[in-house]
Amino acid sequence: MRFETMTDAIGNTPLVRIDPAVHGLRNIDLYAKMELLNPFGSLKDRAAWNMVRPLLTQAAERGDTVVELSSGNTAKALAVIAGMHGLAFKSVTNRMKVAEIKDLLLLLGAEIDELPGQAECLDPTDTDDPLTRMYHRLAGSGGGYLHTDQYFNELNVEAHLSGTGPEIVKDLDGRAPDYFIACVGTAGSSTGVAAALRQHNPGVHVVGLVAHKSDFIPGIRTIDEVHEVGLFDPGVYDTVATITADDAIDGLLTLVRRCGTLAGPTGGGAYQGAVRHLRAIDAELTERRTAVFIVCDRVESYMSYLRERRPELFGRPARRNSTLTLTDADVMQAATMDVVQAQRWVAERRGLVVDLRSPFAYQALHIDGSINIVDEIFAELLHGGLPFGSSQPVLLVCPVGEKSARYAALLSRMGHTDVRSLDGGIIAWRDAGAELVCD
Amino acid sequence: MPVAPRLRSGVELPLYLSPRIAPTLRSALNESALLTQLSDALGSPLGVILPQQLADNVAAFRAVFSDHRLGGQVYYAHKANRSSALVRELAATDAGIDVASLAELQHALGAGFVPQRIMATGPKNQEFLWLAARTGVTVSADSVGELVELATLVTEWALPPVRVMTRLSGFISSGVQLSSRRSRFGVSAFAVSQVLDVIEKHSDALDLVGVAFHLDSIGLPEKTVALEGCLAALDECRRRGLRPWSVDIGGGFGVNYLADGAQWEQYTSALTEAVLGKRAPLTWNGHGYGLRAEAGHIRGSLNLYPAHRPVSGPAYLDRLLRATAPEQRRPLGTLLLDNMYDLHVEPGRALLDQCGVVLASVLEVRDEANGDTVVRLDCNARDVSLEEHGVLMDPVVVHRTAPAKPGPAGVYLFGNLCLEADLITRRKVFLPSRPRPGDLLAFVNTAGYLMDFSATQALRQPVGRKVAMYHDDGAWRWCLDEQYWPVHRRAETA
Repeated sequence: MRFETMTDAIGNTPLVRIDPAVHGLRNIDLYAKMELLNPFGSLKDRAAWNMVRPLLTQAAERGDTVVELSSGNTAKALAVIAGMHGLAFKSVTNRMKVAEIKDLLLLLGAEIDELPGQAECLDPTDTDDPLTRMYHRLAGSGGGYLHTDQYFNELNVEAHLSGTGPEIVKDLDGRAPDYFIACVGTAGSSTGVAAALRQHNPGVHVVGLVAHKSDFIPGIRTIDEVHEVGLFDPGVYDTVATITADDAIDGLLTLVRRCGTLAGPTGGGAYQGAVRHLRAIDAELTERRTAVFIVCDRVESYMSYLRERRPELFGRPARRNSTLTLTDADVMQAATMDVVQAQRWVAERRGLVVDLRSPFAYQALHIDGSINIVDEIFAELLHGGLPFGSSQPVLLVCPVGEKSARYAALLSRMGHTDVRSLDGGIIAWRDAGAELVCD
Repeated sequence: MPVAPRLRSGVELPLYLSPRIAPTLRSALNESALLTQLSDALGSPLGVILPQQLADNVAAFRAVFSDHRLGGQVYYAHKANRSSALVRELAATDAGIDVASLAELQHALGAGFVPQRIMATGPKNQEFLWLAARTGVTVSADSVGELVELATLVTEWALPPVRVMTRLSGFISSGVQLSSRRSRFGVSAFAVSQVLDVIEKHSDALDLVGVAFHLDSIGLPEKTVALEGCLAALDECRRRGLRPWSVDIGGGFGVNYLADGAQWEQYTSALTEAVLGKRAPLTWNGHGYGLRAEAGHIRGSLNLYPAHRPVSGPAYLDRLLRATAPEQRRPLGTLLLDNMYDLHVEPGRALLDQCGVVLASVLEVRDEANGDTVVRLDCNARDVSLEEHGVLMDPVVVHRTAPAKPGPAGVYLFGNLCLEADLITRRKVFLPSRPRPGDLLAFVNTAGYLMDFSATQALRQPVGRKVAMYHDDGAWRWCLDEQYWPVHRRAETA
């Protein structure tokens, strides 16, 4: 395979059979369309390229900025494509909730505009949806933008009608599957693929998966939100079913751990929704059937999402010398010093004063002669052992004397013999009128 | 997958939006004989205030402060309710009060607040500024001009220096650009140096004690940017040798109005379907609450208060303090503590959670030819301003006698103004039992902004009276709101 440019590598993704031992369906062959293998990492590469390609030449001549309302994969693909053609890219969003995607977009040189949150006090005149707000902004800017408009752009559907759908049929030896299951985001892929499959077999049963209302699954809309999407046509789907974030993560785990498929939550949701839907049908079947679902993107961008929802998946062994292992009794026994004693101790330069607060707070005001090691860094140092001699006199300082007492207790446990905590912290020090300096 | 339940016959299942009712409020509602007596004697509408609930609400905010080891004050935003009972009860706690008009300042002083516990905010006229300066309350200034005006007053009248806060706005984020709604209040965060010039020039008249912001948004990311922006402003103060010690982050902590999130989800889905014409309208004249159908798709956005809000009030404050500051990458609560700053908050709605009820008497119940049922109330949409504030929450029916027809009823609630638009809410309200004339509808949890905030005497209809109901000696007692003081006159004991 030799290509002139990365965009030539978009599409023609493999269709891979899921091992029946994993899904447990007896009469249905379940295939995954591996859209995660597109060059920029997702199914959206197809739509992004299809929408932007016809406008590129003009946009490049005018130096337009590519702009799209997207919080994820479309933005990523457009940012890459824009960059390849010397154009700027701007993503407008009110729902970018995945930190890694934000970071990746910034890395790609994209500009991200987040729209304001809902007003606490109701303003009855403010009824604009994000897309309308964006149209207003584009109209107000007097040009200079190439807006791909993924939620209303027929080229989004067309990418799948002429690409994804026919590829599936070709890989199934010219036959359409009996069931097609897809998550509904912009509705572009499900609509386009469904149309292509139905050209071969009008009887294809199409299942659209939407997110449970109170859940957030990146790339999937809830049952109410799909109605905002211009490309969404309820007639496309024989069944619309709901999946939860838990379903999506369960499916993701099955795909990544057992199927060699590093799928993100959307793919996981599609797998889980597919198996759930097909299981009931499978029990009644007497002949073989075929089903296809789409694995939209890759898992790597969703670590924070997974960590937040399934922290137990990331359980790591405890690190040594951690304050987490201290008991209340340990902390109670930590040596402390009140402000009056401490003032004398400091004035006589009897030892090292370590201020555990943030650098900005330290720089603004601190005890003369103290050094600043912010608590998180101090904690890191202690994992490795004592950062000073075990008999070096040390006074630990934090805001109210709580953290410093914990670290004093930890240092004692680590064998340090001369550590104290400032009782009441730097707030007590200030309130006593003791001297604070800045540089 | 039918989201909205509907029977095959076309009979709709009730779409309840049941209010969340805490034990104290529940206990007051159980006094139905007392409530009907009060309504008969004092007229409809009638505001019922439960002042004792306030102390619990203050304590819940305080608990968040102490969890984060933070000092500072909880200032009740007086504008949320005109009640005297609430202000006097609050004076008996350790909370402060945020006053936004001359009359509110007078009210707070008269209720027993010492000036150290009062913060004057909002747009101010000269009289308001003078009384604030004269009594020595803290003035939260909106503009450089206001600071100059205040300094001039202090100098002219030879008053002691006044403690001032400066409200900032227009914070800028780095990396991701977070936009916020434009605010009419506050000095641009870029122009802090102008404020400090004025403070330094009038150092004998103005004592800068902190900076403030208030964002009209429920979005945490915007608030984290604003709070970190305030920290940066305070750094600037310290560089110039000033020693302000506090940040006031305003209010907007919110209330969770509904008992059941599933009802809220079911209702909003049904509303979307109704707007698309896929089910019978749920609202008067097909009102869409901000949603509209265009070519089979939904446009606009749902312009409603998020009535089911599990993370609200003190829990929202806690989440904000645990949020990581975008630039310094440390939790905001930790940064405040590191810097020894006090945190001030100004909740209105959240402090009045579960603190009151509006009672309205039913004048007429009639079935229209088209099948709609109408309940006409002796109050109007300004007496229970659910609609103005976009809060969708069912009233509780207080029957005088057992309901004639058991079973739910979907009704429209008409007000007492001779105006087409005077519906208490434009949605069809499902009541668990059909009311009869003389029954009461209790609009619960309305003390914050939904009681008398915009009540008027239009058409010479009276503004509802208010009573305070309080628990004393194991029983519910009541008095007129203006008669209430936290010291309760005990009945003579034998």
